[in-house]
Amino acid sequence: MKSLGRSADSMREMVFPTGTRFSRAEALTIGFAYFTVGFTVAVLHVTEGTSPIVMLAAVFLVNSVTPTLAFAAVTAAGGSTIAGVLSGWLVSTRFGLFAAAIAPRLWPSKLRRAASAHVSFDPNIALAMREPDDHDARRVFIAASFWLCVPWWFAGSIGAVIGASVGDPAQLGLDAVFPAVLLAIIFPQLRERSGLTMAVVAAVAALALVEVTPGGVPVLAAGAASLMAYWWADPEPETAPETEPAPC
Amino acid sequence: MLTWPVVIALAVGVYAQRAAGALFVTTDRLSPTARRVLNALPLAIIAGVVALTTLTNEGQFSLDARGAGVAAAALCAWRNLPMFVTVIAAATVTACVRALA
Repeated sequence: MKSLGRSADSMREMVFPTGTRFSRAEALTIGFAYFTVGFTVAVLHVTEGTSPIVMLAAVFLVNSVTPTLAFAAVTAAGGSTIAGVLSGWLVSTRFGLFAAAIAPRLWPSKLRRAASAHVSFDPNIALAMREPDDHDARRVFIAASFWLCVPWWFAGSIGAVIGASVGDPAQLGLDAVFPAVLLAIIFPQLRERSGLTMAVVAAVAALALVEVTPGGVPVLAAGAASLMAYWWADPEPETAPETEPAPC
Repeated sequence: MLTWPVVIALAVGVYAQRAAGALFVTTDRLSPTARRVLNALPLAIIAGVVALTTLTNEGQFSLDARGAGVAAAALCAWRNLPMFVTVIAAATVTACVRALA
């Protein structure tokens, strides 16, 4: 019994690391957000025709919602599979940057780093980076990854399994959930002028091209136009901007 | 619709970027330009995807119930409401407008 009590204590210590800036409120907020997003996105893919087993694989292997959402959106708009996959890869470039930002503060072991890379998301890395001490950064990274991944894997799995019984997605307005989730993800960046400029340019370019170019071209060309607008609006920043993780 | 080859391609591509960051890249060795491009790309792509999924249908411009739903979502996000509220608002408004139309 004693050892059981001790392992419960160490479990609590793992998910709520004491003496760090990571609060219980933050832990629960992340857990709740990833639970709802995971469930919604899995249901959405399954109602759109994805088989439950493929959706389960997507939850655990891709381990992020934006690439699969981008793929589904591009192909649903008439884009080719290749354009869809390319869009999926391009929306995840941020994970590589976040992983690079936190890596020096995590473990020296390459194996541990390779394992931690799979759970590189925006909020867990942002929260870990906030810790002044490297040891605390590791503890917060583990705790925040737990609060993010467990609800997301769990809810994503439930959504994959029961998604097919949800009914006609269009009648429930679920087709608007794709853009709504993505919009909520980028919204913090739209509060800054450069982010808003980029988004407006991308949207206008994509809509201008959609009727005159083959599917898949509009979103990639819009991305390129948006990057050019970013340079034009802010050609030489004094210092390279810090990677600012967005929620989800 | 996601299929096995698509899921595998996405999984490999996404993990490769995460692992490259965790194992080989140090951010101060990346050129500021490369860093800016990698940093800005997701917003650039996602904004285009949002516009297309809201305002087009099978490759044609189309203003329908989804536009109202996504506008409701934008309002929720602007008011800093939690994501599930944003999502429910988008679905509800879209379903209502569609049912009325």
